[in-house]
Amino acid sequence: MLKLPQSSTDRKHFVIVGALVLVVTILLGFALLAILPVKAQSSVQAEPIRWLFQLHIWLIAFLFALVSVFMFYALFVFRRRKHDTSEGEHFEGNTVLEILWTVVPLVLVVIFSFIGLQTLQQTTSGGDDIRVEAVGFQWAWTFNYPNGVTSAEMVLPVNKPALISLTSTDVIHSFWVAEWGPKQDLVPGMRTQLHVTPTEVGEYKLNCAELCGLTHWNMVATVRVVPEAEYTAWMEQKIAEQNIEVVSR
Amino acid sequence: MRLTSLGLVRGLIGYAVGLLLGMAVVVVSRLLMGMSVWEAEAAWVGGIIFAVIGFLGGVGALSDWLKWTRGAETPLLHGPPADKPAWTRYFGVDYNHKVIGIQYGVTGMFLLLIGGSFALVFRAELADSGISFLQPGTYNTFLSMHAWVALAAILLGVGGMANYLVPLMIGAADMAFPRLNAFAYWINVPAILTLLLSMLFGWDSGWTAYPPLSLRGPVGYQLVFLSIFSIGLSSILGSLNIIVTMLMMRPKGMSLFRMPIFCWAILATSLIQLTATQLIGQAFLMLSFERTLGMPFFNPLYNAAGENIGGQPLLFQHLFWFYSHPAVYVFVLPGLGIISELLPVFSRKPLFGYRWVALSSLAIALVGFLVWGHHMFTSGYGEYLRVVFMISTLLVAVPTGVKFFSWLGTLWGGRLTFPTPMLFTLGAISVFLIGGLSGPILATTATDLFLHDTYFVVGHFHATIFGGFVFPFFAAIYYWYPKITGRMYDETMGKLHFWLMTPGFWLMSLAQMTAGTMGMRRRIADYDPALGVENVHLLVTIAGFVIAFSVLIMIYNLFTSAEIGATAGNNPWRSRSPEWQIPSPAPEHSYARPIAVVGEPYDYGLAGSKYIASMGAGDD
Ligand code: HEM
Ligand SMILES: [Cu+2]
Ligand SMILES: [Cu+2]
Repeated sequence: MLKLPQSSTDRKHFVIVGALVLVVTILLGFALLAILPVKAQSSVQAEPIRWLFQLHIWLIAFLFALVSVFMFYALFVFRRRKHDTSEGEHFEGNTVLEILWTVVPLVLVVIFSFIGLQTLQQTTSGGDDIRVEAVGFQWAWTFNYPNGVTSAEMVLPVNKPALISLTSTDVIHSFWVAEWGPKQDLVPGMRTQLHVTPTEVGEYKLNCAELCGLTHWNMVATVRVVPEAEYTAWMEQKIAEQNIEVVSR
Repeated sequence: MRLTSLGLVRGLIGYAVGLLLGMAVVVVSRLLMGMSVWEAEAAWVGGIIFAVIGFLGGVGALSDWLKWTRGAETPLLHGPPADKPAWTRYFGVDYNHKVIGIQYGVTGMFLLLIGGSFALVFRAELADSGISFLQPGTYNTFLSMHAWVALAAILLGVGGMANYLVPLMIGAADMAFPRLNAFAYWINVPAILTLLLSMLFGWDSGWTAYPPLSLRGPVGYQLVFLSIFSIGLSSILGSLNIIVTMLMMRPKGMSLFRMPIFCWAILATSLIQLTATQLIGQAFLMLSFERTLGMPFFNPLYNAAGENIGGQPLLFQHLFWFYSHPAVYVFVLPGLGIISELLPVFSRKPLFGYRWVALSSLAIALVGFLVWGHHMFTSGYGEYLRVVFMISTLLVAVPTGVKFFSWLGTLWGGRLTFPTPMLFTLGAISVFLIGGLSGPILATTATDLFLHDTYFVVGHFHATIFGGFVFPFFAAIYYWYPKITGRMYDETMGKLHFWLMTPGFWLMSLAQMTAGTMGMRRRIADYDPALGVENVHLLVTIAGFVIAFSVLIMIYNLFTSAEIGATAGNNPWRSRSPEWQIPSPAPEHSYARPIAVVGEPYDYGLAGSKYIASMGAGDD
């Protein structure tokens, strides 16, 4: 078996640990990506979230590997052997190391602040080709379109930027379609908004993500993302049903 | 021995009498003002306020102060009461910091069990989808109670460690203000009673109690507000006492940078508690006022023109998190201090970078005041605030990193042994690592907009709290058990506890995070099977029960070992810290003679070095 050096400052330790950190980082990174599947993938705004999430995962994998490999290696190599009664090596610290592991994380903070700013901008912006108002109340939703159409389900055309305007009539709720990514609270007395450009046709669940009382868990509405033609047809049917005089769109 | 000679029993009687009296006062005043006689909410508010005071009077926490107003002498009594069995002193007002420390610690442990049981109840419900036995209203009550009972447990556990250890570690005879110390402990007891009483009515907002929801629900809310206000008062008074003790009562030679490192952690913690707690006390009081007196702080009200002439719901969130974020560091800094305290002992090496570790606690405490808005990224506050709080939050990672690297430096090159306290210390590091590393992903706003209010956050904060409090607290219990009881715990059972709890916890955290990224919201009584998270939830529930079972092993161990454990001796761990140089169990007067500090605390492996010396008569 490999003979490990006794002195704690021997180069050999660091070579072994470095190699192990590399291997563990790669294994762990893929493992984490596998067990943390990000559901947000059906809107333009979900893209930056997924991208940043994965970037974080690789950093997490590296830092986790760094600390845990050093730790387990030390536990193994520096364990007290039978009949050994000596004390540990005497060193009280190392200022260069301390400065290093303060400054390097600081640099990472600056980098992530910058990336964080950009992804925030991307995930909270978009056009307003379609405008909808979503009103939350205990424990359901209604949706109002600018032409006066009111609906209990939300229908949006695919690939069209939508701006959803949010308000609540009673307590705080939160608007979340997991597949789209970001969520936004609905606050009584305030108007908040959420940009979304759905990219995949399908039926989704809109959930309330802020505890709002008795049946909060069941404050659900159906959201349908449909091709443009179907959207127009749906809208026309609604207008007819609700007897609305269309002024403008 | 008469039952009423126990302070606790008198306190409970005082509580009941106060409750009735307070209700009567409300009823009579309503009668006099010509209002309807019975209004449950007002009656309970009045009742609880009187009940808390009644308890404190009954238990005797106010007696000495009342005597002072009459100019009566109130000598500090030492030792167990003369005419009663020794154990009775733990059930009444006692001024010895070691007794108070045990009172805090045992009460905290007891609450941890209650809070944990609440979690087991709703975890059983969540094991599969569909509502099986817990109706949504009850579910919400259990969920909300779990949080506050567990948080109270943590605050008391922290109080226990601080009260028992700090005076011992700095060689002080007691705390600076022993009566205040007892008062700060005892006010928790009626507060906890009140908190538990709130379950009679239920409440459903989660621990955050966001208005307007918390302004609408049942009377249970009022009991919660008053209870948390009282526990907050305890935090403020307790931390004041600790700071004064630490600053004024250190022995000769113990500069701040020669204190045991745990004291630094407690200093940082106490500074937070002293300065931040008012904010939550204030916020909950405002909720209480808004409900009882109709003062519109938080609930919007509209005039005829549709303008808001009432309150602002987001104001509450700012007040709440201005306390509650720093509070998470109150939960973890002491535990991180325990880790730093124990690693050198079991590595037989100095703590790596003592000053950096000490100052990183202060840095975390200070930066912790600037980051509260990361809990509000989705709240709808100003767009620019999302950036400010993102950057300040990321900064917290820096001093946290310093701690991890210093721990590694401490292990490196040591002569490591692995008795139970060391295992829990290492377990704490591994769990806190999971928690800490899942922090920055919540700090960058874009990812948080997705993860907020999901199980990912649940995974994050349970890992930080278990790694930063629960594991170190258990390490501390095993480690100081011989000093407290004079006997050794059972090592086999201790290891069994560890090997069940640690993998169980890793599994639970990861599974929670998985559920979160798959779209599982937090705080919901039931979930859609279409999410595909059922298996993950089953895992979380099973892991939760394994953890609970392992804790029962510890309780059994602690109880039986107090009777049959091997005699521990003064210093079974060969520690340099002052408290290990005195007999076990620690005597009534801890130090027969004052001590002086003559060296560095952690110079393990430096031949001939000493940390403290006992001062003979005339040395001074
Ligand atoms: C020191 C130990 C830590 C503790 C005890 C802790 C505790 C908590 C708790 C209790 C929550 C949930 C609050 C709630 O919504 O009910 C939380 C959320 C959060 N934590 Fe931590 N945390 C710690 C470390 C960190 C670190 C190092 C970071 C970032 C660098 C971080 C960033 C966050 C963020 C951004 C949230 C908000 C997530 C959300 O609600 O969406 N935490 N933390
Ligand atoms: Cu809701
Ligand atoms: Cu926070």
